[in-house]
Amino acid sequence: MTARPGPRALARTTAALGLTVAAFAGTTAPAGAAPQPMGRCTTSSGAVLAVDFSHWGGPVYRSCGTTPTTGYELLNQGGWRTTGTGHDGPAFICRIGYSGHQGGKQYPTPQQDDCVLTPPASAYWSYWHADPGQDTWTYSQLGAMLYKPKPGSVDLWIFGGTNIEGTQGRPTVTPDQLRAKNTKPTGGGKPAPRDTRTAAPLPPNVDTGPAPEDPPPSDRTAPPTPSRPVPVSPTTSKSPSPTPSKSAVPTPSVTPSTTTGSPTVAASGPRVVDAAPAADAAHDTGSWVPAVVTGALGLLIGAAAVLAARRRRTE
Amino acid sequence: MVRIPETAARPSAPGPAPDAGGRRLPRTLHPVAWWIWALALATAVSRTNNPLLLFLVLAVLGHVITMRRTEAPWARGFKYYLYLALTVVAIRVVFRAVFATGITPHDHFLFSLPHLPTPDWYAGIQLGGPVSLEALLSAATDGLRLACMLCCIGAANTLANPKRALRVLPGALYELGVAVTVSLSVAPQLVQSVQRVHRARRLRAGRSKGLRALRGIIVPVLEDALERSLRLAAAMDSRGYGRAGTATRRSRRATGALMLLGMCGLCAGAYGLLDATAPVLLGFPALGAGGVLCVAGLRLGGRRVTRTAYRPDPWRAAEWAVAGCGVLSAVLLFSNAGFNAAELNPSVYPLGWPTLPLVPAAAILLAGAAGFLAPPPSPPARPAVPAQRAEELT
Repeated sequence: MTARPGPRALARTTAALGLTVAAFAGTTAPAGAAPQPMGRCTTSSGAVLAVDFSHWGGPVYRSCGTTPTTGYELLNQGGWRTTGTGHDGPAFICRIGYSGHQGGKQYPTPQQDDCVLTPPASAYWSYWHADPGQDTWTYSQLGAMLYKPKPGSVDLWIFGGTNIEGTQGRPTVTPDQLRAKNTKPTGGGKPAPRDTRTAAPLPPNVDTGPAPEDPPPSDRTAPPTPSRPVPVSPTTSKSPSPTPSKSAVPTPSVTPSTTTGSPTVAASGPRVVDAAPAADAAHDTGSWVPAVVTGALGLLIGAAAVLAARRRRTE
Repeated sequence: MVRIPETAARPSAPGPAPDAGGRRLPRTLHPVAWWIWALALATAVSRTNNPLLLFLVLAVLGHVITMRRTEAPWARGFKYYLYLALTVVAIRVVFRAVFATGITPHDHFLFSLPHLPTPDWYAGIQLGGPVSLEALLSAATDGLRLACMLCCIGAANTLANPKRALRVLPGALYELGVAVTVSLSVAPQLVQSVQRVHRARRLRAGRSKGLRALRGIIVPVLEDALERSLRLAAAMDSRGYGRAGTATRRSRRATGALMLLGMCGLCAGAYGLLDATAPVLLGFPALGAGGVLCVAGLRLGGRRVTRTAYRPDPWRAAEWAVAGCGVLSAVLLFSNAGFNAAELNPSVYPLGWPTLPLVPAAAILLAGAAGFLAPPPSPPARPAVPAQRAEELT
């Protein structure tokens, strides 16, 4: 593992500083990044986004987005939303929510972290990458707004604490469990407008890694249902069938892990669920009445004070 | 919103008289009571990011100051603290716009600054780029919080008499207390000098604006402030401030060592409390040990200084009430009782109206009760003298 103390701290700091995306100059519309059903991501195109809600008893959601994109755009499309901190702005990811999970509720909740100042290193969303073919996680050296995932790579957000040495707070899932295994885009009906660009061939010097050993046939046929559990590890012992991870049934089935991953995965293997592009969670802008009430209250207090002071002086 | 009337001292009834209700005699509140009240309110402000609550705090501060400030020179400084607060908000907003934090399709685009590309090794900071309404609003509310805390300190400076606050300092801090008082009174003195010189120039039909006028003002102001500081220092010296006292070298060294160790303990304790990964021993234990050492050092050093009080500042019910209502409002805001903690820190991503949580709003209004609880200040000392002359005498 290549996580070093200096850059790790630096990455947290850079994320905390104001970051921006140069590609947007002058427009509000995003430049090309679009959410995709999971089947559109392949070993060499699209970027997989995975978010681990297991800290709150949820699954690990994974979804797909076109490239070029940034880590921040991946997290703010297809029903995903983030909240920054009051101190650092939206670039410091403080809360993450998905409209298909608990009605779009963002975690950590305001009771757990008020997201005013930079969250503590013991409880924050840490950002990990795995480039194509790589089976180890790399702690992100850049903030979400600056990092541009490579086609075929996996981005993972996990909540918890990390230490400077890089020994604590490592992801328990492996990149292989989350990575898109199919070599061609499947499902999803008509391709997205920018799909041709995302499927562009890689530069010759980019190593996409070995071909997937066990490409699941399910990915070619399965429709992109909002939550299709991809069994990866023995979470419960309900039906300990020895079938490998290639079931096409859209119901949760539990199978022993086919990955040759580390024992940490088997210890507390999270459930991986595909998150299809969804509409944004409804947002209520609230009422303007409290603001007016406060303004009236302030005027009242000011007028009362001025009157009282004037009366005192003239007496 | 915060309205401070102009400081034209109107002639008022001679001698101390009961206030409008005829119940309380005018007197100045104990300065420590004002400081406790203001610091507690600043603590309460540090808890919230809600612009409505912050505006309410500003209104309450303006109310209490208008009701209870004296005509002393330091009591006219609040508007300068307001200017400082405005500057803080402006700086925060400008920095957020220049060091852009990016924009998403969900945000409301306002304008775009020219983007300066930075090299890869400096990728952490981006200059320029699109600016959203949300970014500016969040920067403004964040700045408003700091501005409110500044105004709380300004209110304490306006309401409390800094020269009488010196007397409650522990005896061991005598020399330090002189420095603190001089530094506290420098800003009001400068302001007063500027006003006096400006008025003198106007009376002589001199130029009152422009660069040349500035030169004509700055030199006399600096000279005046320096002379006043020297006069204050001489006055304090003649009253026995800053002397070494009868302490032996050994007891001075013991005091110094105790204080130094205590301060180290306090620093380590604060670090331990703020850093969640620090060892447990570095938190409260270090803080407590540091506090105990500091108190011991102050006691030891205070033994060699004997002081007598000519006009003691009483600590009566009004002092308890003012300090209590400030502390109570801070406790209410930190208690999370009866309101949702999320309402204290509303997010502007996505944009929405902030709510006005009932309990925190009531707590802040409660702090405003200090405007009634404190006794009214004494009227100007010599009302018969014209206003300008009276200002110089106070």
